[in-house]
Amino acid sequence: MGFLKNKSGRQQITDEHRPCQDSGRREFLKKAVKAAAIGGTAVVTGCQAPGLLGSKEEFALQFQEYFKAHYRLMTEKERDTTITRLERLAKLQKNVDVQISSKEAMPGVLFGYGFNVTRCEGYMECVSACVRENNLDRKSNMQYIRIFEMEPGQMTPDAGQGKFFNEVPVDGRFYMGAQCNHCDNAPCIKACPTKATYREPDGIVVVDYDWCIGCRYCMAACPYYGRRFNWNEPVVPVKEITKKQHYLGNRQRRRGQMEKCTFCVQRTREGRLPACAEACPTGARIFGNLLDPKSEIRFVLENKKVFRWKEELGTDPKFWYFID
Amino acid sequence: MTQKSSVRQMIGFITDVTRWSLSGGIGYQLFLCLLVVFMMLGVFAYLVQWKLGLAVTHMSDIVSWGFYIANFTFLVGVAAAAVMLILPSYIFKDKDFHHVVIIGEVVAIGALVMSMTFVFVDLGRPLQGWHIIPIIGLFNWPSSLLTWDILVLNVYLVLNLSIPAYILYCHYNQVEPDPRKYRPFVFISIFWAFGIHLITAFLYEGLPARPFWNNPLMGPRFLASAFAAGPALITVLLVIIHNTTVFKIPKQTFNKLRLIIVISAIINLIMLFSEVFKEFYFPTHHSLSAEYLYFGLDGHNSLVPWIWTAISINIIGTLLLAFNPGKNKPMLLLPACILLFVGIWIEKGIGLIVPGLVPSPLGEVVSYAPSWVEISIALGILALGMFVVTMLLKPALIIEHRFKAEKPS
Amino acid sequence: MKTPKQKKYGLATVLGLMIILTGWNAFSEKGGVVQTIKNATSTFDNGSVESVPPVPEDTVLAQVRYQGGTFRVETRKDKVKRFQCSQCHNNQPVAIANAVETAHGDITLNHGDKVKQLACFTCHDKDNRDVLITEKGTKVDMDHSYQLCGQCHFRQKKDWIGGAHGKRVSWWAGERVVKNCASCHDPHAPRFEKRWPKTYSRPFTE
Repeated sequence: MGFLKNKSGRQQITDEHRPCQDSGRREFLKKAVKAAAIGGTAVVTGCQAPGLLGSKEEFALQFQEYFKAHYRLMTEKERDTTITRLERLAKLQKNVDVQISSKEAMPGVLFGYGFNVTRCEGYMECVSACVRENNLDRKSNMQYIRIFEMEPGQMTPDAGQGKFFNEVPVDGRFYMGAQCNHCDNAPCIKACPTKATYREPDGIVVVDYDWCIGCRYCMAACPYYGRRFNWNEPVVPVKEITKKQHYLGNRQRRRGQMEKCTFCVQRTREGRLPACAEACPTGARIFGNLLDPKSEIRFVLENKKVFRWKEELGTDPKFWYFID
Repeated sequence: MTQKSSVRQMIGFITDVTRWSLSGGIGYQLFLCLLVVFMMLGVFAYLVQWKLGLAVTHMSDIVSWGFYIANFTFLVGVAAAAVMLILPSYIFKDKDFHHVVIIGEVVAIGALVMSMTFVFVDLGRPLQGWHIIPIIGLFNWPSSLLTWDILVLNVYLVLNLSIPAYILYCHYNQVEPDPRKYRPFVFISIFWAFGIHLITAFLYEGLPARPFWNNPLMGPRFLASAFAAGPALITVLLVIIHNTTVFKIPKQTFNKLRLIIVISAIINLIMLFSEVFKEFYFPTHHSLSAEYLYFGLDGHNSLVPWIWTAISINIIGTLLLAFNPGKNKPMLLLPACILLFVGIWIEKGIGLIVPGLVPSPLGEVVSYAPSWVEISIALGILALGMFVVTMLLKPALIIEHRFKAEKPS
Repeated sequence: MKTPKQKKYGLATVLGLMIILTGWNAFSEKGGVVQTIKNATSTFDNGSVESVPPVPEDTVLAQVRYQGGTFRVETRKDKVKRFQCSQCHNNQPVAIANAVETAHGDITLNHGDKVKQLACFTCHDKDNRDVLITEKGTKVDMDHSYQLCGQCHFRQKKDWIGGAHGKRVSWWAGERVVKNCASCHDPHAPRFEKRWPKTYSRPFTE
């Protein structure tokens, strides 16, 4: 029955084999892609003008990028090729050396998140860390996380005040965060006409940015305001770019693409905590493996009184709120 | 009939159609030029949007669908409404409708072209459009309602292009069209007309995240409002054709159209009342959108004047058409139809899309009004639609007229 | 063309497939993620995540058990200025002028309720300043101050051991390393201070 449960329909790649194989092949591919790009340029331009080579190479790379397949349908080699292309493009366009990972989900892992309503004090460190980690657009001030200042007597973020900017915590108020809930039965996945957004085997809901056509149906379908759209070409100061990236995570997005919280896939697949959980100064954010009975998130679920937001919609979120 | 002669006939058909659609009096030429000017304005605005991204619209992460999708929704209804002419004329063999049915079909084509263009300009990455094409892309069917909509709209466009094209081609050659060849497709297109509008309604109805849309009355109400607005538009068009061309429309046709409009408009108003009752008899959290629409929320009341205007002119138009004080006089019939059309356009366009998205799932309220880019593009698309209708209608009427004159049936 | 018999078989196959698919669908959707969690009873080997680095130097094995296993806490002694305390606080009296101001002037004691504020020697051992002392008189190493805090804050201690209170350090995988109580809380004034948020939520101006 195992093969039926593997929704990605791709074979799991065992982690032991990857790194060593990877580096060699990557290096080779880097050269191959470069050669192909130059070759493509020769075809496109008819001759090679050395001064213009940079921009022509960029054009050729983007031309090849345009015809690539959906990430889930790519073979291992195709993935490596596109990653090499993307890394090269980042170098050409912004002169930064980024490392884009294509690390697969670990078997036996299902990510879940706990948010301690009692402990959150509204310092917004998580928001800031998330913006930095995920290379979010600074021009439109995009943020994945919103924190709400709550009056007592209510327990749902939409009743709170999201525009607060005052010394926190205010006496008699409490704070609640809202972000993508990584629903197990996600309405956005159902809505997407191109399958650009999908659920990875470790439970995170991701977007294949380059496959998205920007119709924004998922945005209308999301009951948690978990998705963000690039209305303009995103701007990230070169100095502030997080260089350790993941194809499905914090790599450079383009205008017209949908994006969202990925539980920091570039970090969590390595075993690290998401940036928000790491930055939280009060320990209000709990992250872990739901399939591991000894994980902290499981302790929270079993020992605390937890609730999920808008549970009545049947979206089955993997984001729990709890109270001490 | 040999292969060669049929090819020659086809070429003759095409050249004649092109000639007829482009030639006309100075007024006609000026009208075409005006349309082209507006289309160029739309193209210019779209280039601005292309260059700077959708940021030039006034849409935001909260109001993520705006003027484009509002117009798309409304125009799908107009396209579906052609069935109100097709159904009586082909199935019940209604004589009064039979010779205006072609006009209904052409309006449907124009509306479809417009609605599909509206979706296209709404896309963030139109170049990646090939990702939805089945086989070379990934088509999330049957899960995504948007794929259903793409499917039904395209098939409806093909049906509405091919049936009239076949009939017109036969009439052009002075041959009676073979019902066995087109009747099955007429049946399909009738079901399809209901299908396109129901599925467009399901696009919204299927979103539990948006309580204002997640409402089982959405589908039926879409149909009712469409069957009022579409025939209203066709009535206006018929009056124009009646007054500017040799193609004369009998009074009976207007009267029957009026009945269709009145019945649909009344059903639409009953459903509207039912919705309003549900939202305001015992307001819940889910009624906030309706409150935002009808009374404004947290000082954001940009939609309030629009919706009350829409409802008022809706009711006035319906009453005028129902009691018909002018006995089908165009002086009264025409404004009543226009009022009804505009009323439904506001109510089912902006008045449906924006409140569905406000307040946001996080309870935030914002205002939305289209930017100059959105308005210019919309005008351009409107001009495109009118252009398509004109280009198709003019030769079609000439062919029909010739056919009738030579073979009175 | 198809014979009626073939048609019948075709119809039956289609119907059968539909029933199986519906059944499969209904079966697989059941319970959702909560059921998935209930079914997951075997422990995930946190050590299997290769990318996790070895535990940091400044940690120490906790003296309490976590879900039947061990875990590590951040050390405190190396982070306390002027440790060891016994450098000054030995058997002789401290012979430096203004010693209290210089060494401990930054401490404002705001711990415990207003009626019964805690005093220095509620927690510090009078006889051996290098260690802490519980109400019962048990000496507690500074690296394991949670043992002391847990006397009153037993609920928080239970949550901290389980993982509902406090923070893991950087990694969800690998050996469990958590912050000590005093890593986040100033033991002399444990409540977090009021301050301005790091940033503000994106304004929707209209």
